[in-house]
Amino acid sequence: MLLQLNHIYKWVKQGGKRVFLLNDISLDVEEGEFISIMGPSGSGKSTLLNVIGMLDEFQEGEYIFDGEPVHSLKEKQRAKLYKEYIGFVFQAYHLIDELTVYENIETPLLYKNIKSSERKALVADMLDRFNIVGKKDLFPAQLSGGQQQLVGIARALIAKPKLILADEPTGNLNSKQGEEIMELFKELNTEGVTIIQATHSESNAAYGNRIIHLLDGSKQLQPQN
Amino acid sequence: MLKNYIKIAWRNIWNNKLFSFINVISLAIGFSASFVIGLMVYYDFTFDKFHKDGDRIYRATTQFISPEGTDHFNGVNALLADALKQDVSGLENVSAFYTYRPLKVEVESRDLVFKKPNHVIFTDSDYFKVIDYNWLAGNKATSLLEPNEVVLTQQRAESYFPNTPVENLIGKILMYNDSIPAKITGVVANFEERSDFVFQEFISLPTALQSDLKSMVTNTIWDSYNSDAQVLFKTLPGVAGNTIQEQLDNLSKSRADKDDLADGEWSRFYAQPLEELHFDTRYGTFDYSVPQASKKVLLNLGIVALFLLLLGSINFINLTTAQATQRAREIGIRKTLGSSKKQLIFQFLGETFLLTLLSALVSVVLAFWLLRVFAGFIPSGLNFGLFANPWIITAMLVLLVVVTLLSGMYPAFVLSGFKPVSVLKNRLSSQTSATGFRKGLTVFQFVVAQVFIIGTLLVGKQIDYLMHKDIGVNTANIAYVKLPWNDAAITKKKLLKNKLATIPELSTISLGGAPPASMYINSNLVEFSKDGETIEVLQEQRFGDATYFDLYGLELLAGRKPINDTIKEYVINETMLHKLGFTAPEEAVGQQLLMGSKSYPIVGVMRDFNEKPLNSDIQPVVFVGDIYRDWFSQFNMLHFKIEPKTQDLAGTLEKVEDIWKSVYPDSDFEIQFMDETVANFYRSQQRTQKLLNWATGLAILISALGLLALVIYTTERRIKEIGIRKVLGASLMELQVLLCKDFLKLIAIAFVIAAPIAYWRMHIWLEDFAYKTEMSWWVFALSGIGMVVLALAIMSFKTLRTAMRNPVKSLRTE
Repeated sequence: MLLQLNHIYKWVKQGGKRVFLLNDISLDVEEGEFISIMGPSGSGKSTLLNVIGMLDEFQEGEYIFDGEPVHSLKEKQRAKLYKEYIGFVFQAYHLIDELTVYENIETPLLYKNIKSSERKALVADMLDRFNIVGKKDLFPAQLSGGQQQLVGIARALIAKPKLILADEPTGNLNSKQGEEIMELFKELNTEGVTIIQATHSESNAAYGNRIIHLLDGSKQLQPQN
Repeated sequence: MLKNYIKIAWRNIWNNKLFSFINVISLAIGFSASFVIGLMVYYDFTFDKFHKDGDRIYRATTQFISPEGTDHFNGVNALLADALKQDVSGLENVSAFYTYRPLKVEVESRDLVFKKPNHVIFTDSDYFKVIDYNWLAGNKATSLLEPNEVVLTQQRAESYFPNTPVENLIGKILMYNDSIPAKITGVVANFEERSDFVFQEFISLPTALQSDLKSMVTNTIWDSYNSDAQVLFKTLPGVAGNTIQEQLDNLSKSRADKDDLADGEWSRFYAQPLEELHFDTRYGTFDYSVPQASKKVLLNLGIVALFLLLLGSINFINLTTAQATQRAREIGIRKTLGSSKKQLIFQFLGETFLLTLLSALVSVVLAFWLLRVFAGFIPSGLNFGLFANPWIITAMLVLLVVVTLLSGMYPAFVLSGFKPVSVLKNRLSSQTSATGFRKGLTVFQFVVAQVFIIGTLLVGKQIDYLMHKDIGVNTANIAYVKLPWNDAAITKKKLLKNKLATIPELSTISLGGAPPASMYINSNLVEFSKDGETIEVLQEQRFGDATYFDLYGLELLAGRKPINDTIKEYVINETMLHKLGFTAPEEAVGQQLLMGSKSYPIVGVMRDFNEKPLNSDIQPVVFVGDIYRDWFSQFNMLHFKIEPKTQDLAGTLEKVEDIWKSVYPDSDFEIQFMDETVANFYRSQQRTQKLLNWATGLAILISALGLLALVIYTTERRIKEIGIRKVLGASLMELQVLLCKDFLKLIAIAFVIAAPIAYWRMHIWLEDFAYKTEMSWWVFALSGIGMVVLALAIMSFKTLRTAMRNPVKSLRTE
């Protein structure tokens, strides 16, 4: 098993009352799965992804990742864990504007202290695979949205993560670009990468082999209506 | 990794050109001031550090100790060297030397005359045993033992005998003042490192008996001290300075007058260690032609540099944290990509270092320019070459790192502390604590700038006051020339006076001593008996003929002037009058002043005038004629007034010089003007003023740049708010008030803090003056208003443009 969430609660206080962002979420994810999380805006999709990605904390419950109890780890160990195993893809791409395509893809390797020659080879492979060798010296602002998201995915994959967390990866793209990205995810999944994506779109969700529906922070057994 | 950081840093610096420029300039100003002042500190602290056995070398100086306090004197008496050799144990060598100012030296073999060679001393061969020189020709064992021998430094030898090998100089003759021959017996190398031992020509001590120093050198009065008489000695290894000082104390006390000693009055010889020589202004160095280094001045300069650096760092902190939200996204992304907080801190510190380095490069250029601007403060030996010194380079690098940490630490912690989730979801809290911190720093900046402004205004006011206060002496259109001291014949002086009287542009010509207000000191002690009590008064003497009074506008309050030039009759000033215990001037006329066993009459009383710079109060002053003419004429200057209507001043002065040349063909003609003499009293204050003007200007510049950047930033962030307010009907004025209000509040707070600090500091500065300008309230008000006006001008540059913007545009772009 790759990760396991047991009765996760997350809330914020508003006017003395608890407003639940995540309400008793339990989830087992096996290696190699492709999971789609669906739900309307504010249902807690992003929060759940952030919790899984260890970017956000929760108040109650257990989270075990690759055998490690995340809830009782120190910040440093947690950072080490996600640096090693998790890659992020964002709706707004979140590339670093001041860095070129090449440098953006290279950055995670820098934080893993990989040698320069090895970095070069890895980045070159990635550029090649995504067919963006010609764009390597451009800055994000010079790319289209679809191209930016390609770079974002390339960056997420460069460190060879076990798990990719994608938060509305096609939300800012037109449908053709979106489809291409989803095909890419499918392909990655068949190569063995575990993917969890949050999405509004039924058709995108269908790429996954399991769909989880969220509403007001709770897991729904069946889709509404 | 490093390359990645540098790249990002560089692109950030490049993309925010205005803010980067402001940061670089602000820091560069602080750096260049620090570099220059650091150079000065290094320069002055590395004097005479190279001498062999330097820790065993001492110079003897004199302290006049009395219950009222201790006076310090740089010379000793003519007997000390022998006394040290006989009565003090633990000394390896003792050397006496006398500084000598020959009028000229003739290089016989070349038939060349050099006028007034400087740094000449009479000394014995022990001098070279105390201070080690590298001998290029001759040797120290045999030099300066006999009369009429001289040792030159290489530099001096080169000027007397250009392009001559030093070996060939041995045996050559130099002729001093046409009458004292000296054979060259050695040439020593000049010190390569900095030294206060500036001497260039060493004439054997017995030769002094042939010169006008004879009476000084042969003086056998223990209590006769002379600033030209110097003694150096070197202790035996392992002998502590205090054991020598104890013996010196005993020696000094044993020779003191028993009654004086019982009253707590004695003259103490002080063993001044070599390391104290350079900075101890109480005793001075051997070279009076350059101002002595002062630790106080260096400290004050250091404080100025520190403040400028702090102001620059504050700009950096303010601008970086204000821009933090723009960097926040990058931080969030880097964190999700696996960056630790530590790595981010290093990234930002690296960025700061790059900017600091850039500033340092700019500052080297600025420093080059500052060295010129502050030439008055900077010793002439200090040049740009010192920048290559490894110590200086190390110090500069350390400073770079310190400033990087100082400016970069806080922003680095703020930025690296952002939570990636909040950042990526645009939920960044409004950072209220950082805003408060920024405001605090801005207030600090304006406090510094405000203190500098008030200080500058008050120093300016004081100097203006000093320059324009009526000192009771005429200064306009009055000039004086120093008469050659080696030609004391009064007939010649009178001849000159009479000849000058033929020039129609000159009026009221007077023979006399120093002008009424001058730095010359010629004082003696007189006694006065009144009602059975004896009062001792130290009186400053001013010598002059009958026209001296008229020329300088001195005013008699009672009695008369002396009847002739040589009769010993005294005209005293009001201060003296009061010192003697009289109130009405008439009472003193006819009283007798006692000098030794003889008494002399007071014939008149004159109105007080400031005989010294206004730092000091008026002291007892007496006016007399040329009362010592039989011994040595005190009429050593000729004073005259140039008619104010004179068109051709240069022509008139030329005529004066022509007549001078006809009377004194061999002497240099040097004219001084009275108003310049008085203005020169305050040269050091004027230097302070210049420095302060610069410091103030730079402090204002840095703070203004910082304010500008902050205004630009905060105003940009409020564009939408301004648009809405405008749509709702706010006027331009109201918007202006809205945008400037916050900053004006900070300036007001800064003023409230700055005013008392400035008052306190200036109060201390003014204590050096007996005559002080008022610290008027309007000076403070003016500087406060000035600051507000300046700030408004800076702010309006941005706020007006923003407020005038079409709201439709700013709202649509949102």
